[in-house]
Amino acid sequence: MTREQFINGLRGGLVGLAPATVAEIVSDYEGHFNEGLAAGRSETEVAEALGDPARHAREIRAEAGLKRWETDRNASSAAGAVFAVLGLGALDLIIVIPFLTSIGGVLFAFFMAAVACLGVGAMAMVAGPFWIVGAPWPAMVLTGLGLMSLGVFFGAATTLCTIGIVNALVWYGRLHLRVFRPALDSNGGTV
Amino acid sequence: MTEAVQVQLRKGVLELLVLALLSRGDAYGYEIASRLAKGIGMGEGTIYPLMRRMQADGLVETYLVESPAGPSRKYYRLTASGLASFRAQQAEWSQFSHAVNEILGGAS
Repeated sequence: MTREQFINGLRGGLVGLAPATVAEIVSDYEGHFNEGLAAGRSETEVAEALGDPARHAREIRAEAGLKRWETDRNASSAAGAVFAVLGLGALDLIIVIPFLTSIGGVLFAFFMAAVACLGVGAMAMVAGPFWIVGAPWPAMVLTGLGLMSLGVFFGAATTLCTIGIVNALVWYGRLHLRVFRPALDSNGGTV
Repeated sequence: MTEAVQVQLRKGVLELLVLALLSRGDAYGYEIASRLAKGIGMGEGTIYPLMRRMQADGLVETYLVESPAGPSRKYYRLTASGLASFRAQQAEWSQFSHAVNEILGGAS
């Protein structure tokens, strides 16, 4: 592999990160090539010793994804963190995937249930008295309110669960990045 | 399997080793990488993602120094919290390795 191929591979893997960040990372590796050449090694030798550029790019991205989740808790950063951890492609993470998809499915189902409760509750409250002839409207309104608060409760519980699971996954991903530290340092992976 | 264990072991102590190297004096990336490549057979490129992470965690900070080899070199230096982390991890490590050795010694 030549210097150019290495740097291109690295850039390719870093697409999507801020340009300033990419420039900084690339300059680290360019500097490494400069030092290596000055020390009398060939480009190929240095590239070989550096290893697979795509792999380094993956690790950098994974860390960036985990950091974003820690500072900015929202759905997109959660998805980013999950994909970053999976992107590390460690074998035991692949084993975890079926497990994760079933958890994801259950969470999704709960979210849908929450949305349905909200919807049905709202309908019962607003339209119920007109639909069911003779139904006492205070009862319908109360039923509607009850269903809606059940929906809110479901939604909140599911959100909390999702946050907890993403946090666990982030902790697990961190374990792959640095085995020694988080196992000993209690504030290692969590916030 | 053995290979996977070796990789994990190396990865696990890498941060501790970098902290140890920097506790003896500031260094630039190439220096750290070649020292660790020679010492424990680490891929040289692994060091840069690690240095970024340690910088983001506030364990190290960087400064530029003019270099005779061309563009300026990026030097790394331990922060106060980096030094504290080194002391703590060093103590954990010696305790851990002592315990492992004791058991290994009894098994041979």
